[in-house]
Amino acid sequence: MLNERTIVVGLMLLFASRVMLAQVSVNGSIQSDVLLPQKDDGIGATDYEEWALTNTYAEVSLMSQHLDAGLRFEYLQHPLPGFENDFKGWGVPHAYVKGHFEKIELTAGTFYDQFGSGFVFRTYEERSLGIDNSLLGGRIVYKPSDKLTMKALTGKQRQYWSLSDSWISGADVEYSSGVFTFGTSFVNKHEEQEDIMTDATHKLNLPENVNAFDVRARLQKGPLSVLAEYAQKTQDPSFDNGYIYRHGYVAMLSASYSKRGASVLLQAKRSDNMSFRSERSMSGTSSFINHLPAFTMEHTYTLPALYPYATHSGGEWAYQAEGAYTFKKNTPLGGRYGTTVKLNFSHIHDIDQHPKSLNGLTAGSDGYGSSFWKWGSRMFYQELNVQIEKKISKLLKLNLMYMNKFYNKTVVEGEGGMIHSDIFVAEGKYSLSKKAILRAEAQYLFTKDDQGDWAYGLLELSLAPHWMIALSDLYNVGETHLHYYQGSVTLKADSHRFQIGYGRTRAGYNCSGGICRYIPASKGLTLSYNYNF
Amino acid sequence: MTERLQIFQSMVAVLLISACSNIDESERLIYVEPAHVARAVLIEDFTGQRCVNCPNAVAEIERLQEAYGEENVIAVGIHSGPLSIFSTAKVKGLRTELGDTYYDYWNVEAEPSGLVDRRGGVMMLNQWASLVHSELQQSAPMQLLLQCEQQNGNISIQVTAKVFSDFKGKLQLWLTEDGIVAPQMMPDGTVNTDYVHNHVFRAAINGTWGDEVDWKAGEENVMNFAITPEGEWVDDSLSVVAFVYNDDGVQQVTKIRIK
Repeated sequence: MLNERTIVVGLMLLFASRVMLAQVSVNGSIQSDVLLPQKDDGIGATDYEEWALTNTYAEVSLMSQHLDAGLRFEYLQHPLPGFENDFKGWGVPHAYVKGHFEKIELTAGTFYDQFGSGFVFRTYEERSLGIDNSLLGGRIVYKPSDKLTMKALTGKQRQYWSLSDSWISGADVEYSSGVFTFGTSFVNKHEEQEDIMTDATHKLNLPENVNAFDVRARLQKGPLSVLAEYAQKTQDPSFDNGYIYRHGYVAMLSASYSKRGASVLLQAKRSDNMSFRSERSMSGTSSFINHLPAFTMEHTYTLPALYPYATHSGGEWAYQAEGAYTFKKNTPLGGRYGTTVKLNFSHIHDIDQHPKSLNGLTAGSDGYGSSFWKWGSRMFYQELNVQIEKKISKLLKLNLMYMNKFYNKTVVEGEGGMIHSDIFVAEGKYSLSKKAILRAEAQYLFTKDDQGDWAYGLLELSLAPHWMIALSDLYNVGETHLHYYQGSVTLKADSHRFQIGYGRTRAGYNCSGGICRYIPASKGLTLSYNYNF
Repeated sequence: MTERLQIFQSMVAVLLISACSNIDESERLIYVEPAHVARAVLIEDFTGQRCVNCPNAVAEIERLQEAYGEENVIAVGIHSGPLSIFSTAKVKGLRTELGDTYYDYWNVEAEPSGLVDRRGGVMMLNQWASLVHSELQQSAPMQLLLQCEQQNGNISIQVTAKVFSDFKGKLQLWLTEDGIVAPQMMPDGTVNTDYVHNHVFRAAINGTWGDEVDWKAGEENVMNFAITPEGEWVDDSLSVVAFVYNDDGVQQVTKIRIK
């Protein structure tokens, strides 16, 4: 199927390139990450048949006044550790031709898009997670005025190196007056019946059409922004929900206020049975049509990111509050250079559920009933963190963080109970000279749960404009006493970036939707090359 | 104003379309003719003691055995992969190196998952029932009969194959054990230290992939095998599972309790 697609779109590209010969600009990129793996019994890093593993992507796009075209070559035949089996392969899974005129834009081939916040439709590429859920088909975008945008699309979804059997179609209309924005979306999945038996003499009558809609309104006035969004999905019995016939729902309210030196964000979201895939019996990380963002802060520091939260597709109440304030220069708290304080709080809780059954079985029933406002008994996640950014002198800048975290490992990974941790982070940046900056991180995670305490240290020397050298070590103080050391040297030259490194990466378990997947430990020499043109 | 009206009309339209696709509770189950059992089915259940969802697979196997008979749905729990554990001085683990070999060969990436007559690759739990229903009704190219005898600590096994149609493939014999009490992580995240593990894969009696066979219709082939049980195995709980397979999957399977 994919080969046919490649040939068809390849011919279209050839045609397009001929049409555009006169005024065409070319952009592209190359990204190649390579691991030369080594066995390490200490951390459980295993042997591989291959001497080298790589995820390599090369992308090119041609743009002209009215016609664009592009394609991406992927070489994932010997992929880096931790991706699903079907991830393996190589070819040109992404290719498109796009015509854009005054009020209309037409796309044929593979494309990415999002309706609203993505509650009913979002296709995107996230290479680090192995996600590419693009649609192969057609899309039309019509803008009859500056205020109104209408979209319609249809296609089949990419599932690694094949296509989903179902058809995904959708439409989105958005009106924006500047201050107010209203939008509505509709998505249909058409999927044939399959045999899911509930007992020796009965199988499920599965809906061949699953419809989802989304309505949203945004107020944007000066520093104030308020977004209210609601989405609903019709019966969609699936592997993810245990083949129940309950509708899916998600409601979100988000408000932010931002002005120079201060900002506030308040968010609440309730999702309920909103896992939406192009194949009902698919598990793992592929084939999602929609996206439910986690209402938690994304951390770049290692230990705060050690126990990351992912949205629980079954259902959750999620709340997040975030505030930042900069104390001005030459004030008691601002000091000579000013001080920024950031506060983030998030809390994720189970929704109320009253189990229902049909003939004594959950499959085929409505699954459960749920009161909208009521919580369930379990807390999934809670985090409170405070960050202080302070410039001490012209040469030294500090960033301090404290975090208090509750992570329900059983809910996210399938086992492990509640992990309560306190995390401290100190980061300092010191300018050794005009071209040399030394950055250091010291982090410590206190917990009596799971594998106990962790410590992390990093030293990074930047020699502008070309070089960066980094050394780090993640150490389990509490139980295993294992070191996960890493070192790397990075060279940047014009649009080229080359990195060579060596070290250990820790293993972990990932359980979702009733199944568990293992992300293996690895050790070895890493090479990374990026080029943009 | 016209544009706002278009938006409102769009919202009403999607609500109406979405509202008319419900399947009523009384119409959700479709009757299926009971399977006319023509042969037994083998389920190779890839499982692990650290896999919280794996007890769900055991429940599914028990449900299928209750529906079709234990002699017709023969399960082997292959403790394998990183969610399983090897035995240590402190913990009884059920993982075997041979189980890991099968785990790697079949590209298992999640547990619980399994092979049903080795048709269509590794299947998730929800797909087992329909495949079992279908496989039970396939005709078998032979009948397999097992006889076991235990003498002087050794187990002697005799396999008799009454062949109905030509078959070229492999005959595999495995040893399984029931009633092993060992820890198991449960779906609620707790550890059940008194969990009873049944049909646990212990060893391959005639090599990792079995013996080549080339049988002709009308033949009655007799083959003899032997194995010496290892120390921790409980003889009273051991069984032999024999099955024949080729590129089209498992063609027949049978099981006998040693005592």
